[in-house]
Amino acid sequence: MTGAKVIMSFPVTPTSHRLAEYEARGGYATLRKVLGQMRPEDVTKEVTASGLLGHGGAAFPVGRKWQVVHLNDGQPHYLCANADEGEPGTFKDRWILENAPHLLLESMLIASYALQVRNAFVYIRGEFDLPYRRLAAAVEEAYAAGYFGSRILGTDFSCDVVVYRGAGSYVCGEASALITSIEGKKGYPRNRPPRLTVRGLYQRPTVVNNVETLANITGILRDGAEAFRKIGTPKSPGTQLVSISGHIAKPGVYEVEYGYPVEKFLFDDCGGMLGGKPLKCIVPGGISTKVLTRADIAGLTYDHKAFEARGSQIGSGGMIAIAEGTCMVRLLQVMLRFYHHESCGQCTPCREGMGWLHRTIDRIVAGQGRAGDIDTLVRVSEANDGTTICGMGDAAGYATVGIIAKYRDEFEYFIANGRSKFDGRLEVDLGQAAEAAYA
Amino acid sequence: MPEFFVNGQPVRFEKGQTVMQAALAAGFYIPYFCWHPNLSVAGNCRICMVEVEGEGGGSSWMDIACNMPVTEGMRVLTDSEAVRARRKEILQFILLNHPVDCGVCDKAGECVLQDYHYEYNGEPSVSNVPKVHATKFHPLSSRIILDNERCIVCSRCVRFTREVSKSHGLGILDRGDTSLVRATGDGRFERDPYSDNVIDICPVGALLSRQFLYKARVWYLKPTPSVCPGCSRGCAIDIWHRKPEWKLNALDPKLNARIERVTPHAPAAPRGGDSHGAATEDAGPWICNKARDLARILERPRAEQAMVKGKPVELAVAIEAARRLIADARRPVALVSSWGSNEELDAFKAALGGRVECFVKIDHQPAPGEVVEDDFLIRADKNPNTRHARALFGDRAPQLGGADLVIVWGEGFDFARLPRGAKVVFLNSYLAPENGHADAFIPISVQTERAGHYTNFEGAVRRFERCFARKPTVADAEQVFARIGQSLVSFASP
Amino acid sequence: MTTLVATPIPNKTGSMRHLLPEFERMKARFPAGFESSLTLPCLRRIQEERGYVADEDIDLLVEYLGVPRIQIEEVLSFYTQFRRKPIGRWHLQACRNVSCSMRGAERLIDLLQKKLGIRAGQTTPDGRFTLSTVECLGSCGTAPVVMVNDAYHENIDAAKLDALLERLT
Repeated sequence: MTGAKVIMSFPVTPTSHRLAEYEARGGYATLRKVLGQMRPEDVTKEVTASGLLGHGGAAFPVGRKWQVVHLNDGQPHYLCANADEGEPGTFKDRWILENAPHLLLESMLIASYALQVRNAFVYIRGEFDLPYRRLAAAVEEAYAAGYFGSRILGTDFSCDVVVYRGAGSYVCGEASALITSIEGKKGYPRNRPPRLTVRGLYQRPTVVNNVETLANITGILRDGAEAFRKIGTPKSPGTQLVSISGHIAKPGVYEVEYGYPVEKFLFDDCGGMLGGKPLKCIVPGGISTKVLTRADIAGLTYDHKAFEARGSQIGSGGMIAIAEGTCMVRLLQVMLRFYHHESCGQCTPCREGMGWLHRTIDRIVAGQGRAGDIDTLVRVSEANDGTTICGMGDAAGYATVGIIAKYRDEFEYFIANGRSKFDGRLEVDLGQAAEAAYA
Repeated sequence: MPEFFVNGQPVRFEKGQTVMQAALAAGFYIPYFCWHPNLSVAGNCRICMVEVEGEGGGSSWMDIACNMPVTEGMRVLTDSEAVRARRKEILQFILLNHPVDCGVCDKAGECVLQDYHYEYNGEPSVSNVPKVHATKFHPLSSRIILDNERCIVCSRCVRFTREVSKSHGLGILDRGDTSLVRATGDGRFERDPYSDNVIDICPVGALLSRQFLYKARVWYLKPTPSVCPGCSRGCAIDIWHRKPEWKLNALDPKLNARIERVTPHAPAAPRGGDSHGAATEDAGPWICNKARDLARILERPRAEQAMVKGKPVELAVAIEAARRLIADARRPVALVSSWGSNEELDAFKAALGGRVECFVKIDHQPAPGEVVEDDFLIRADKNPNTRHARALFGDRAPQLGGADLVIVWGEGFDFARLPRGAKVVFLNSYLAPENGHADAFIPISVQTERAGHYTNFEGAVRRFERCFARKPTVADAEQVFARIGQSLVSFASP
Repeated sequence: MTTLVATPIPNKTGSMRHLLPEFERMKARFPAGFESSLTLPCLRRIQEERGYVADEDIDLLVEYLGVPRIQIEEVLSFYTQFRRKPIGRWHLQACRNVSCSMRGAERLIDLLQKKLGIRAGQTTPDGRFTLSTVECLGSCGTAPVVMVNDAYHENIDAAKLDALLERLT
């Protein structure tokens, strides 16, 4: 199938998420080994050597982030697993929470040991229902089995975990906003400096890692950095949980080994396009990554360098497949409405810019677009690039310039004619039977 | 001392400073809305972005100066092409939804957004989408009106209530471009005795003083440095009043000589040039709301007519009557005003200190409902110069027994406590029934009608300047004491 | 599997003081000095119990947590899941983001509005349904998705919608 499996490496059943079955698969043995045989700095060394990159979208080397935390500095350190998963098109952390919560917990324990963290948090978006209940149940199981609490497995290592539920805010997926939310406040991102690994939660050194990033830790410590590096590519070791949705026949979460051919993934493993329609383009990994056309993905492999070479990014792995005939102006409209709704409002370019972008594209879609509107969309996007407190302003900008760069003609058509070049719908036409259901 | 470079010039800096702090201290101006020298860094307006040249041939990068630690040898550009372009963009964003209210906005003339628009942008808004509308005239408190459309959500007001007044009375509700500054539902901002400072620090015309609303354009006014007499802390203030060349001839002369507003005393605008009194820039020293309301104290109905036993007389007649009474008294006692200036108190001491038994009077007590004392600025002693008065005359409680003449200078004396048969010389600025009971009544000037000094509770001596001319029928207390003292000397005591 | 029909949203009056022992247990899970962090979990628990957050609940939390009142007011206004007023028994939250729109969410929302006779943001006069449009719920693979109270209802089409609405009394 889609290459080596690190995380989705077992058959999912109605009970495979439970502690007993996780232990039967070798669960918590790695924790035992790490606590018994390694020092905290050895763990960080191993993670660094593995070349593991962050899976939240920024692809920052994990070991390098961990190394900033000074051990034995006499102050508390915190670890936060980012389970906010609000990026449209992304639903892979949810797979881990529902089906492998103990993998996350064991990994968090190992990470907490490495970073001298006594109190760890999982920040989970408030809307998640089953993922939350499965995670909360796993936490209770882990406590009962003595994997959390004081003097774990008879060692000096103690660690507690709290599952912290969000309450409806996409920007709380940004690390500093996530931390501020855990402090019981609005999810306002923070300016850097200081880095969060220096002053984070309640001004203490804090590491924020994506759920999938952490889920890789157990395997790396179990089999070693060398073994991990054998999977994937030299610059992109390991795998990516890819969430695929949109006009695809078999949407879902697939674990894809880095380096795997994108066309094979889309047309074989995911069953190709819905209703056999031709592929128009993909949103590669979250809506802020630049869209890649059918031509762009010819011969493309799924890894960071290859995507950068084509002018896009792996991002959070939230891939959306878009069929021919879909109106890209309407698609961008949905995205800009989202960004406008989610802007926290703190900094000038994003607070004013998101509204500007949204109101401009709304006017175009309403048939009242004007000649300078495309330039306005681009100008506002560029004015948000590198000028904001967090990456959300930039993200909206990239989505906008990415789509306009490839599909400018659709925008020009809409403005000139007051309507879409296509039928303006975002769904694929699946014929009479499907339509009748909505009569 | 380590050095870095601003626009090619070497600049010394202290470890821990940000580029904003070091550059401003060295005289390089970097524009800012949300930064304030006395508040925490918010870094949300983004207009202070500067360019930093890359090291070793690397590309340059841009970031906000207010949160940028200075490192030795870094090369900062505050006025490059890139920086100018960036500032224009930020101003375009602020203009996007900002209402073009300048014609009706109190802030015009001292508005940072206006100033920056002319200096850094100059082009009209390029937007063709409708502006987002929000509440205008939101009653933030009984003293302050908030216009949410003008607000640029810089959070200065919120940070002030969190960090300085500590009332935690303000916050920002909702999110995105519908963010709104609001006061909490429990009225703590209404009760915040320092609330009006947010009016000064608001960089635009979003926070407005109700008492100043629509009263005057700031360029018709001039700020005169003064000292607040509301308590013994004596905060440095500016009293704003009409410039003489802008007086309104057609109207009641009172309108040309009144206190239009009171703000904390502002140092000279750092950029130089025409300063309309930069009350919104770097007004670091804070004042309490009582200072804002000084007109309530200083503009009460004035005593303008000298009297002898209630009969109107010429000023000189009343002064002569007083002199006589003092000369003839066998046991004269004086109750000295704790609102007297250093100069007036010195003159009293010189003239009468040897002849009259003097006690310091506490003119004003805390009024019902007034904050008595707190751990910030407000002191329980509601008089500006108790310290100097006590330095001259001691702090014994007044003993009036056996006195045949009581000289009462200033307010706050209960005339029922007069010993039987004692005569009274009364000097007062304000209309009061007691004025008519005095054997000699001399109306005297108030603080705004003269220059002088007060000594605050810590011993700091602060000068206040004259704002208005006193009426010819009103005396200058310092001169009255000097005159009486002179003539008493010629009547050498036995 | 998602749960089937969740419990209806209540609309209660009266004090929430009886939740204090639960808050104490929640507080014990956090490190010392993390009282401020209790803001979100306590508000969520109160809303579960009452159906929304009332002014008296803010007073209670200010007293119990010792946080500035403004912090609670800001949190309530910032996060979309908190309500200051009661709503219908069944809160239908239909995602209208990219993948859901690509799989029929726009027509689904139109259908819901027609069937219920209300627009998004409104409650039916009988207090049964409140309709909202929401952003991405993290369920794009099973789009379109409608959240009913706490439960996700995935792969919704017109037929499933009918069956669902019938079960929500």
